Amino acid sequence: MMINFHPSQKMLTAFSAGELPLSLSIAVSAHIELCDQCAQQAQRVEQSLSQEAWQDNTLENADFGDMLQAIMATSHETLQATKIVAKATTKIAGREYQLPTAFKKFTDIKWSGFGAISRARVINDEKNIRASLLHITKGGCIPEHKHKGYELTLLLDGSFSDAAGTYQKGDFIWLDGEQSHSPFTKEGCLCYAVQDAPLHFMSGVSKVLNPLGNLIY
Amino acid sequence: MIELIKKSTDNILNTHKIILLDEEQQQINDWLTLVASKQDKQAFSQLFKFFAPRIRSHGLKKFRQEAQAMELVQETMMLVWRKATQFNVDKGKASTWIYTIMRNYSFDMLRKVQSNKEDLMSDDLWPMLDVEEDEKEEDHLQSRHLLAFIKTLPDLQKQVVEGIYIEDKTQQELADELSVPIGTIKSRLRLAMVKLRDMMEEE
Repeated sequence: MMINFHPSQKMLTAFSAGELPLSLSIAVSAHIELCDQCAQQAQRVEQSLSQEAWQDNTLENADFGDMLQAIMATSHETLQATKIVAKATTKIAGREYQLPTAFKKFTDIKWSGFGAISRARVINDEKNIRASLLHITKGGCIPEHKHKGYELTLLLDGSFSDAAGTYQKGDFIWLDGEQSHSPFTKEGCLCYAVQDAPLHFMSGVSKVLNPLGNLIY
Repeated sequence: MIELIKKSTDNILNTHKIILLDEEQQQINDWLTLVASKQDKQAFSQLFKFFAPRIRSHGLKKFRQEAQAMELVQETMMLVWRKATQFNVDKGKASTWIYTIMRNYSFDMLRKVQSNKEDLMSDDLWPMLDVEEDEKEEDHLQSRHLLAFIKTLPDLQKQVVEGIYIEDKTQQELADELSVPIGTIKSRLRLAMVKLRDMMEEE
């Protein structure tokens, strides 16, 4: 299966520099875990960032006191590099899903249902940004909506479609405020979604959801 | 929204400046390899001399405060010293490895400053730094489980728990040794205890 949608070069660079907010960093990190191409690209970006950081022609003298001695007085770790494989899992709609390493610390994910859609808030502490896991059952759809800000969707399992095409596991889909869509899933899907403003539903009866936009935002 | 991406990292890939000379890179690789293989203090001093002022300058740009810039130097160089054995010269340059350690620590620091969260997410966002400890060690305390749990704590918390409960240091001694405020020691310890309790309860 091919991953067709990737974070932009700019976003990958901001991620590698540690400058993205946590919610988006999780999305890029999880994508990288699923996408070899971006993993390699991220390594190249780290190299350039490292070069840039260490080049400094305007270094000031500073007094580090006895910092060096204090560090060398502490004990060394005797570690063997082996990657920890344990990952986070979450159970929803009768299935246990494995989540990428970036979700490892979220051990108490709490789901709440809303029709075909279940949501679990992941991060809540960043200004104006909400990040959630979304599960949509087989045949489910989200009424056409747009966002005032951006919407990032990382597909973690299953597939979904909108007018622009069909998305597979690992796809990193970025929409900005002007685009509207109504995602639909035949087989059901699990996504990680990051938004910076409430959903705004656009048609017919789904407009009554607008005051409830927070429920799935 | 792309505004949140800072200018400083734009177009980096398009610059062709030769920034660190090849010999310089090689020298840094050699020093770090010496630190990893025999805890060579002279080699580490050379690394410190090269990197400490650069990390400080990077920290000043990022945090705009001397104290935080110094914390970044202290913690980055401490991790370089403690984790040198994880450096694998086949996988990349030593200078890049040190950059990623600084980047990870400053991500966690920034999150603390901005969201008041000490969740130390960087280990999971950039998981190649994660390692498991060797099984060689003897089980001195006959509490394998507890020790195993402590080992899974994030490094900064692990350091404090080990310092206090295994090496019998006081919180003040640890604070002095690590050059951080005693409040930092207390909060790391508190976080570690919550985590340990959760792990024991699951067991």
